Amino acid sequence: MEMEKIIDRVDDLLKPVCSQVTQVASFRIDAEVTVETLLDAVKILTDARWGYLTAITGLDKPAPAPAEGEQPGENHMEVLYHFCEGPVVATLRVTIPYSHAVIPSICGIVPMATLYERELIEMFGITVEGTPNTDKLLLPDDWPVGVFPMRKEFTGFAIKPVEGEGE
Amino acid sequence: MTVEAHTKTEKFIVPIGPQHPALKEPGHFEFSVEGEIVTGASIRLGFVHRGIEKGTEVRNWTQNIYILERVCGICSHVHATAYVLGVEQLAGVTAPPRAQAIRTIVGELERIHSHMLWLGVAAHEGGFDTLFMYSWRDRETVMDMLEAISGNRVHYSVNLLGGVKYDIDQKLTDQFLKGLEFLEERLTHYMKVVTTDETFVGRTKDIGKMPKDEAYMLGSIGPTGRASGVERDIRVDSPYAAYGEFPIKMVTDQAGDLQARFIVRIKELYESIREIREILGHMPESELTVKVPRRIPAGEAFSRVEAPRGELVYFLKSNGTDTPERIKIRTPSLCNWSSIINYAVGHKLADMPMLLAGIDPCFSCNDRSVTITKGGVHQTNWTWEQLRQYGIEYYR
Amino acid sequence: MEQQLDSVWTQTLDKIKTWARINSPWAIHFNSGSCNGCDIEILATLTPRYDVERFGIKLQGSPRHADVLICTGPVTRQARDRLLRIYEQMPDPKFVIAVGSCGLSGGAFHGCYNITGNINEVIPVDVYVPGCPPRPEAIIFGVAQLLEKLKNPAAAA
Repeated sequence: MEMEKIIDRVDDLLKPVCSQVTQVASFRIDAEVTVETLLDAVKILTDARWGYLTAITGLDKPAPAPAEGEQPGENHMEVLYHFCEGPVVATLRVTIPYSHAVIPSICGIVPMATLYERELIEMFGITVEGTPNTDKLLLPDDWPVGVFPMRKEFTGFAIKPVEGEGE
Repeated sequence: MTVEAHTKTEKFIVPIGPQHPALKEPGHFEFSVEGEIVTGASIRLGFVHRGIEKGTEVRNWTQNIYILERVCGICSHVHATAYVLGVEQLAGVTAPPRAQAIRTIVGELERIHSHMLWLGVAAHEGGFDTLFMYSWRDRETVMDMLEAISGNRVHYSVNLLGGVKYDIDQKLTDQFLKGLEFLEERLTHYMKVVTTDETFVGRTKDIGKMPKDEAYMLGSIGPTGRASGVERDIRVDSPYAAYGEFPIKMVTDQAGDLQARFIVRIKELYESIREIREILGHMPESELTVKVPRRIPAGEAFSRVEAPRGELVYFLKSNGTDTPERIKIRTPSLCNWSSIINYAVGHKLADMPMLLAGIDPCFSCNDRSVTITKGGVHQTNWTWEQLRQYGIEYYR
Repeated sequence: MEQQLDSVWTQTLDKIKTWARINSPWAIHFNSGSCNGCDIEILATLTPRYDVERFGIKLQGSPRHADVLICTGPVTRQARDRLLRIYEQMPDPKFVIAVGSCGLSGGAFHGCYNITGNINEVIPVDVYVPGCPPRPEAIIFGVAQLLEKLKNPAAAA
């Protein structure tokens, strides 16, 4: 089957660099990379002309509430790089801690990633090293510094979220 | 306005999108120019940034259908479809065949209305107001069809988690078929204008040419990419809804210029009409919905659909409750903006307005704005008119 | 609203001005961050099926010549200043029509972080046209309501 061939191919490409490559759905592959191996993985995919960068997603994963008397764990964020070839989607996943929220820019390999990286910077407060443009993409110029809307801790400027029951 | 090399800063505020010359635009797109050649380009979007992705985290799965539809007024159905397909992936259900067929029909009708809207607007940008009026008048037929099935002309909320709300009976089918016949006739006329009318051809042929390799590397998608020969169409590459049973033919062109973009879109309209007719002729019999639990099981889903402008991507993450953990939307216009920014460098400023109109930017999908700066200190404002005139005079 | 006793001359002048304004108000449109659904329906009013120009309503470009501001959208942070500026540039007397549910309360986006919601919090609104989006007929009705208000300012206050 066509899809299986594509999946096998990307499996082979990514296994050498990624700590874990799993097939999470019939058409989706997830590959764990680290901040150090991210660029290598992206380069492998681009050199082999496997797919194109479809989106970069940021995820905020605050540490769960600690048990009684325990220290709270460290908050993390995850950045997902989605590459698509035909029906198959391969996602490279990088986890970074709040304390050192830095990832390298992939714009050297994939120039069109710049807009997605700008969004990461302003929405999550992640530093993307080497990205060509760090202007705000979506937020206004007078947005308060240090406020990152897509982090879970941000809940709007004293505007109560809509609560609907049974709708 | 003289066409000479400027070494001062000039700010051009260029409005783009469905608009009358009277409509004010929102937006910032910056070009840095040295003489004639563009040396840098960048965008500031955000004028229409409403914070929807954050808003979805406090609304439950059903309420989200309605806010996500309103990301864009022109392509609202594909946003809802992508979302609903993603949720169905998470819940591990598939909507029944009749529902998928109806989703596809409404999706194609939306494509027709969107392309005709663009046709009118792009024609207006070129000064062909008559074509604008004609195409929008003909577009009313499609609006009537959409209203007949759903009750609203825009934001037709046909989707439900697990299926659709409305059914298509014989009377509706007859109305659709009649409307499609009328549209097909009108399309022949538009195709003729686009390919043979001297003035039109003069303004579109060989303008804003993007060769296949560049388009491929820049990640061009949708009709813009297909006009340069890049064969990417989610309906073919990764069929969803009813595109598996009723396959669609990909329409490409090799010329890559503005005229090719017109031609590809009109040909796609023919293909959409054919597709709707085929589905109407072979409607599967089944229920309209399948049950979806209130709390969606935890997991991640990735949903890709073909919006009228290109590939629309939704990433959904659920934590097992009745509100989503994260919804990420990547709209096609963002991708196309990216490709324009990268393509612009090294090319002539005069090509820019045509390129920008050609990618069919959906400004509320990401808010469009364009400013052009020529590196320097002095600031002048150019209007879209002036930039367009600049482009025309340059090529005279 | 209190009735002011104008001299005969100012009363006549007012009547002429009102007649001129009612007979062809010049409108300007502004999108303060809407999804474009309402904007498409406003544009549709210009097309042959609804053809609002036959009523003398002219949609044109500069705020300095406009009587009526037709505003859509939930007023995002970036749009707010621009909206205020356009409103200030319009000469008196000026009127505002808010088209769409977003301009009433934020519509579907109520509570989202980058919007103000009610246009009335930024500039005073005279006529609201609810709907998501309102049909072109509803928009024309809204404009007709405004013209009624212009004709009878005391009654409509």
